[in-house]
Amino acid sequence: MSKDIHTLPETRSWREIPQQVRPRAMSGEGRRRLTMAVVRALMGACALALVSWGAWEMAAVLRESPDSMPDTAKADRVRSLVLVTDGVLDKNWLAKTLALSPNATLMGLDLENLRQKALDDAQVATAAVVRNFPDTLTVRISERSPVARMMAQSGGDAPKAFMVSRDGVVFAGTGFDAAMVETLPWLDGVRLTRSGKTLAPIEGMRAVSDLLATAKLEAEGLYRTWQVISLARLAADGEIEVHTRDGMKIIFGTKEDYLRQIARLDLLVDESTDPTRPLRSVNLALGSQVPVAYGTASPVLGGAPVSAAGAMEAPPTAAFPGISSPHIDIHL
Amino acid sequence: MSSKTTFIGAVEIGTSKVTALVGEYTGREIVIIGCGECVSRGVIKGSVVDYRAATECTQNALEMAEKDANERIDHVYLAQTGGHLEGFYNEASLNVKAADNMVEMDDIRRVCELAKAKELPLGRMVVHNIRRPFRVDGRLVPTSPENLVGQKLEVGYWTVHGQEQRLADNIHVIRGFNLEVRELVLSSLASGHMVTSMEERQNGVLAIDIGAGTTDFVLYRNGVAHTTGVVAVGGGHFTNDISIGLRLTESQAEKLKLRFGRANIQSRDKSEKVWLDGNFSIGDRQFSRHAIESITAARAWELLEVVKRRLGQSYAAEACAGGIVITGGGAKLPAIAECAAQVFGVQARLGEAPSWVNENLRDPGFHTALGILYYGVSVQSDRATATRRKGGFLRNMTRLFAST
Repeated sequence: MSKDIHTLPETRSWREIPQQVRPRAMSGEGRRRLTMAVVRALMGACALALVSWGAWEMAAVLRESPDSMPDTAKADRVRSLVLVTDGVLDKNWLAKTLALSPNATLMGLDLENLRQKALDDAQVATAAVVRNFPDTLTVRISERSPVARMMAQSGGDAPKAFMVSRDGVVFAGTGFDAAMVETLPWLDGVRLTRSGKTLAPIEGMRAVSDLLATAKLEAEGLYRTWQVISLARLAADGEIEVHTRDGMKIIFGTKEDYLRQIARLDLLVDESTDPTRPLRSVNLALGSQVPVAYGTASPVLGGAPVSAAGAMEAPPTAAFPGISSPHIDIHL
Repeated sequence: MSSKTTFIGAVEIGTSKVTALVGEYTGREIVIIGCGECVSRGVIKGSVVDYRAATECTQNALEMAEKDANERIDHVYLAQTGGHLEGFYNEASLNVKAADNMVEMDDIRRVCELAKAKELPLGRMVVHNIRRPFRVDGRLVPTSPENLVGQKLEVGYWTVHGQEQRLADNIHVIRGFNLEVRELVLSSLASGHMVTSMEERQNGVLAIDIGAGTTDFVLYRNGVAHTTGVVAVGGGHFTNDISIGLRLTESQAEKLKLRFGRANIQSRDKSEKVWLDGNFSIGDRQFSRHAIESITAARAWELLEVVKRRLGQSYAAEACAGGIVITGGGAKLPAIAECAAQVFGVQARLGEAPSWVNENLRDPGFHTALGILYYGVSVQSDRATATRRKGGFLRNMTRLFAST
């Protein structure tokens, strides 16, 4: 027989008959069996997943369990501290904050306590402390970044500068570049209270942060002139008062879009080109009506009160004549 | 219970009844642990004609068997019969490839593929490929010819094929119970395997399974099935003939057939009468015993003649030393063995299940279902062994180098 085996005719077997049957062609018992089969398969998959997860967790526990460690590993001292951060804090801060004893062993450390120590610094938003055998302690943190600063004093202590983050958390601010800090405006009109060891977050700070962020992004030239942000009228009137380095007072309303208000301000500043009649007060919180007060040119920055000019009565004098940072008392 | 233990269902969807057995298969032996039986509906001459009715009664039988076994069936071996089943013989030969004329596994594989390759008419599907013994230079080799020396290797296959739709209908009835059909077994092979011994099959034996709608037969020679066939005539036709001949309803005719029917005429007295019911009830009638026997004997003779005709030249009395074995519900007809002996010219006997079969399952009606389990399991283990052998690492490596 010289036939090539690959050219043989294909015979179809009964096994090629598909055995799928639509459920409606099944009997009640058949459908029940099908459902049970599906349920069993799902339960099997769930059980498998559960067992796998359990095994994984168990392995993780065993990996970090002190019992599974060789005795030499248990006795190893911490030789290296590693800080992983998204901010400016450094290893010195870490060493100072954790204050580990020189003979501390890796297995002897209370990680939760160390984590809490790191979190006690309000500059740290989140922290995780991990043992890396044989002798390394790794601390992973995420830091808060400041959007404003403030000068505060408690009792008879000397005033001290603090940073304020976007979410209103007040912290000492360690390791920040001095040039960057100089660009931050001061906060005023805030009532600071203590909450445990730290200061309670400032209410309404998110609105201020949005204003600052918008100004910095859309009109950086204007933003650079802002010196003091007063929150005194924020809660009552929904207004944020900004005092510039050249003595101008700008009132922003929190109800209207900041971008629109800043655009109006920018236009006003651009239009006010007369050096003999500088802008002294702009109220942007009244919608499309913007009351503006002009003054006479002042030889000294933040100097004497301006006199009324133009159509409107001049607003009160700059809140902080002659000082660059308002003082805030901390209430217990 | 071993983790390898499976519960196999054997189902025979017959014209008069549906039988289901549950076997506990451990990989080495099978034990029957459950049995279910239900009157068949929606099946005519072995073919499903009413899907819903056939599904209902099959599933009743399966449920009964599962309850009896107190286990759930994993998959099913299904009996296949019906007039649509046909068979043909095809053989192939090839010259042994090796220089030293030693038959290799590759030669065997190729000659088998050649012998099995025959185009079937549209809509037909292979149910079984039954291999006849190999021949090496004309020499009969009952087992594997591997490593024998010769120039020419021959083999033949008896291929049983059936109509796709009919096969699919039977499978779908089982799938309606959300069970997989793992093996389709020809009814004749199943019952023949059960009622004949290995020695009889070696010497040549003809097993005839007379069912209600069909008669399945298998002729064994040299230990393997040589020819199979299905005749679309069964015990139901005996009943039908009595019904027409004596003007009775089907159920009355069935009653008379079971009580007085014979495969030969015993009654010499033509005036001898028998009562239909025999309980003096209203409507009870008398019939001539001779007439009843004449009808059933004529039908039995005719049926066996048809089987003989269908076997044609495949059947030769001298090549059938094991004689004739009659099984199935029709085997209960008195003198059917004598009738078969006369028709085929060899000794005939009624089929009996092997001695180890439980007393409750020794009825001829269970032979097919029992055979399905044992035949199906043996086919599956052969296939598993072949797969294991084929997939060996060394064998694959050898083949890889041989082909390069």
